[in-house]
Amino acid sequence: MKKRITAMIAAAAMACSCFGMAASAEEQVTLRFAWWGGDDRLEATLAVIEAFEAENPNITIEAEYGSSDGYHDKLSTALAGGTAADIVQIDPETMPTYVEINPDYFLSFDEYGFDFSNFDEGFLRTQINGYYDGQQLGIPTGIAGPTLLVNQDLADAIGIDFSQDYDWDDLIEWGKQVREYDDSMYLLSANKSYITTFIFYNYAKQLTGKTLFDVESGELNITEDELTQCFAYIQSLYDNEVIAPASYSANYDGDNLQSDPNWIDGKYVATFAHVSTMNVMMAANEDANYSVGKLPVMADAKDNGWTANCPQIISVTSTCEHPEEAMLFLDYFFNNEESMSTLACTRSVPPTAKAREICEADGTLDSLMMEAADICSAYGGLTPDKYASSQEGKQIITDLVELVGYGEYTPEAAATDALNQLPRLVG
Amino acid sequence: MRKKNKTLDKFFSYLIIVIIGLVLLYPIIYMFFGTFKSNEEIFGSTKLLPESFSLVNYIEGWTGTAMSYTKYFANTALMVIPTTLLTVASSAFVAYGFARFRFPGKKILFGVLVATLMLPNSVLIVPRYLLYNQFGWLDSYMPFYVQALFACNSFFVYQIVQFMRGLPKDLDESAYIDGCGTFRVFWQILLPLMKPAIFSAGLFQFMWTYNDYFNPLIYLNSTNKYVISLALRSTLDAESVVVWGKVLAMAFVAVIPLVILFFAAQKYFVEGIATSGMKG
Amino acid sequence: MKKRLFKHYSKRDYKAFIYLMPWLIGLLVLQIYPIVSSLYYSFTDYRIGGTPVWVGLQNYIRLFTEDSEFTKALAVTLRYTVTTVPLKLALALAIAMFLNRNIKGINLIRTVYYIPSLFGGSVAISLLWRVMFQDNGVINAFLGVFGMDPISWLGDKRYALNVICLLEIWQFGSSMVMFLAALKQVPSSLYEAASIDGAGKFTKFRKITFPQITPIIFFTLIMQLITALQAYTSAQVITNGGPLKSTYLLGMKLYAEGFSYFRMGYASAISWIMFLIILIITLFLFATSKKWVHYEDEGDF
Repeated sequence: MKKRITAMIAAAAMACSCFGMAASAEEQVTLRFAWWGGDDRLEATLAVIEAFEAENPNITIEAEYGSSDGYHDKLSTALAGGTAADIVQIDPETMPTYVEINPDYFLSFDEYGFDFSNFDEGFLRTQINGYYDGQQLGIPTGIAGPTLLVNQDLADAIGIDFSQDYDWDDLIEWGKQVREYDDSMYLLSANKSYITTFIFYNYAKQLTGKTLFDVESGELNITEDELTQCFAYIQSLYDNEVIAPASYSANYDGDNLQSDPNWIDGKYVATFAHVSTMNVMMAANEDANYSVGKLPVMADAKDNGWTANCPQIISVTSTCEHPEEAMLFLDYFFNNEESMSTLACTRSVPPTAKAREICEADGTLDSLMMEAADICSAYGGLTPDKYASSQEGKQIITDLVELVGYGEYTPEAAATDALNQLPRLVG
Repeated sequence: MRKKNKTLDKFFSYLIIVIIGLVLLYPIIYMFFGTFKSNEEIFGSTKLLPESFSLVNYIEGWTGTAMSYTKYFANTALMVIPTTLLTVASSAFVAYGFARFRFPGKKILFGVLVATLMLPNSVLIVPRYLLYNQFGWLDSYMPFYVQALFACNSFFVYQIVQFMRGLPKDLDESAYIDGCGTFRVFWQILLPLMKPAIFSAGLFQFMWTYNDYFNPLIYLNSTNKYVISLALRSTLDAESVVVWGKVLAMAFVAVIPLVILFFAAQKYFVEGIATSGMKG
Repeated sequence: MKKRLFKHYSKRDYKAFIYLMPWLIGLLVLQIYPIVSSLYYSFTDYRIGGTPVWVGLQNYIRLFTEDSEFTKALAVTLRYTVTTVPLKLALALAIAMFLNRNIKGINLIRTVYYIPSLFGGSVAISLLWRVMFQDNGVINAFLGVFGMDPISWLGDKRYALNVICLLEIWQFGSSMVMFLAALKQVPSSLYEAASIDGAGKFTKFRKITFPQITPIIFFTLIMQLITALQAYTSAQVITNGGPLKSTYLLGMKLYAEGFSYFRMGYASAISWIMFLIILIITLFLFATSKKWVHYEDEGDF
């Protein structure tokens, strides 16, 4: 069936190009480019497309943009049908599943000799940034990663310094300090999904020095005892009121922390955030004076845990009829100076040093975002494995974090349950 | 009823209507004022009224970043109107077959009709997508039209069957005696009596297709075919600052055609057999 | 039974198939393939886009033996259904009866009552609901006027599902329209005759209105049940199934397994179990319907 579908696409594409030929002497090529994002990203991307089309009159790029809501439902369906856009933006944590289902969904950039000279090799050649089995199947659109966004004036007023190295226990002490200072305030704004992403995974990595799963063997790298310690730490965050009660933060689940009235009111000293979303948190309370802090590392950490990643990757699907032209466009998208300047920070901090320089010269480089990216890159911890960082893996942990947060589970019970549930992720 | 009581009765009727109406509409009113608010006000304050009134959310929202709502509305009309008309026509036709004839296998077929509603849609999406891809219907409104044409949503068939079964069979019998064929019975005798059912089915299909997000998302690729439901969410993204006032404003604008449609279509519910209305 | 065996069909009766033709074609060409595929997937390990691998009954066995989330979600779904369906129908019927009168401005009034339903599952409504019911939202502010302590509507597992149910009940408009249309189909001659006999309002409702609209009440009941048992949108956007899975509906689990975790085979198994549950409930209702649903065709169907 797959063959027939491909044949049909080929036929359709041929029909299209015949029409195109009438209009232009050169072969007219149309490429579809799908991404999600807000208004700024849309505007910048459309401008780049326009500039590219002006330079390459025989290529038309059809923009297929929209919300992140349902984007991957559609992409996975379209990939199955062989009808996905030629160039697609992908969530780096969903990518492993696609590659696992069909290693041939995406073209290897290396096979087409894509010019990666502007990219930092060490950053580029990691799985989370699109590198699978020796092939670059996706290009990271920017540098992202975890950060700690600090309401600097409030931190100063209470006497908390996030710019020094500190460990997890310091957070607990500071949390108590904040409650003493003002009992309507908390040290950290966090909901169960943020606790999972930022605290659980990194705490576990620092504790064990390994990723949750061994990617090669599919075995769990963490013992029940270690899991208990992770959940116990999370419990102590609640018990010591470092973070708001679970029932309160349930109102602002997922990426909704910025709509918490207490955040808007400046009642949190700091929050964990993604480098790519910290601007959203900052925009929610513009009165505060922000800085980015260091990230907690335990005294005898076996791994630093924290590591940079990217907000999205961009790939070319193997059903693309004109891969050469698609590569040409992406070369323009990532390597052209004008394009770098136009795109600026609409997909987090630009992925190449050159683009960052250009943006800095333009004054469009967000210096706080850059600092945040630098801080998390410097830790150089292990990249999370594909099982634990899959949506299902995160959901298992998030549910357990919630149970601990509500006091329904002891850390021991959560650890036992985790050991029961996690193996399902493999295979 | 005595006259003295009648005015009092009327007054209380209106009073109750207004009170219930206010309770029901309060969230909508709250939302309406939200269209003028900043994000900070929406999330951080419980005040009903905004700090200031400005149409900027409406104007900027309508213009959009890449495409204006004029185009989205035009596309939506192109998708929704034929879908609605085809649904009503085919459903009434099929419903007549079920409601007014005795034929072998009727119970089983009717069972199948109702049963197709019972399987959740989520797992049908992928195979359906693959099928429509084979037919070459992707990136067009064809999936909507064709499903409507073949009465694939049995909800409407079943609905019209129920209404049709409420009409006495004597109507058909006497028409047959007068020499009418089955189609004339359907078209000239039953259909005119079914206006409330037909119009409510049309209204539902219009509204549901209009508000449907998932199907247009899956089937449509080209942005110049995007419909309102897609446009309403297009700016939502965790990585960018969402101007919620704008989102609310456009949700409001988007609902206006539905309000007008309902208001206008209502007179057909009111005309039924009981043209004189309820007396009681 | 015997009578049916020897039922004689007239030539005219066979014309039914002409009228059924559109639906039959649609069924065979458009609907059978997806349905059969999903049934097949339910016996396989199938990730969207991958090759289905036959696993027999494994998905079904896992559902009932290992997956405690499934039974929990089923319980939440049933609670959601028995809360929303009766309340929604009762409210819709009461308001339809109340608005079924000829007074000035009735068209406008009906429209206003329908407005909440017109928004459907829009993002605006979900945002609104979250903002109104948040800990320091307008609902708690209102309760505070009466000296009540704030309630964590969305954060307490005892209340969250009720908030979702409330949204569903609030959008009672479509059922109301259905009942309005049904009420309009009741022949006024019946009421006139009853008035002559001196029947009161309540007697008229019990003896005329209710029996006359039972086909539509029955239909709305069935449809609302099916919708409620499959529902997921509002819970997904308002509470995302939380807190503590107290609003995690089966429809949500199905969606998450299929599209977020890519386990389409397993999702298909869930949906066929849901199909069976809905089927059993519906068959039961159909069996009872002979007792209380009144058709003009005297059940000759």
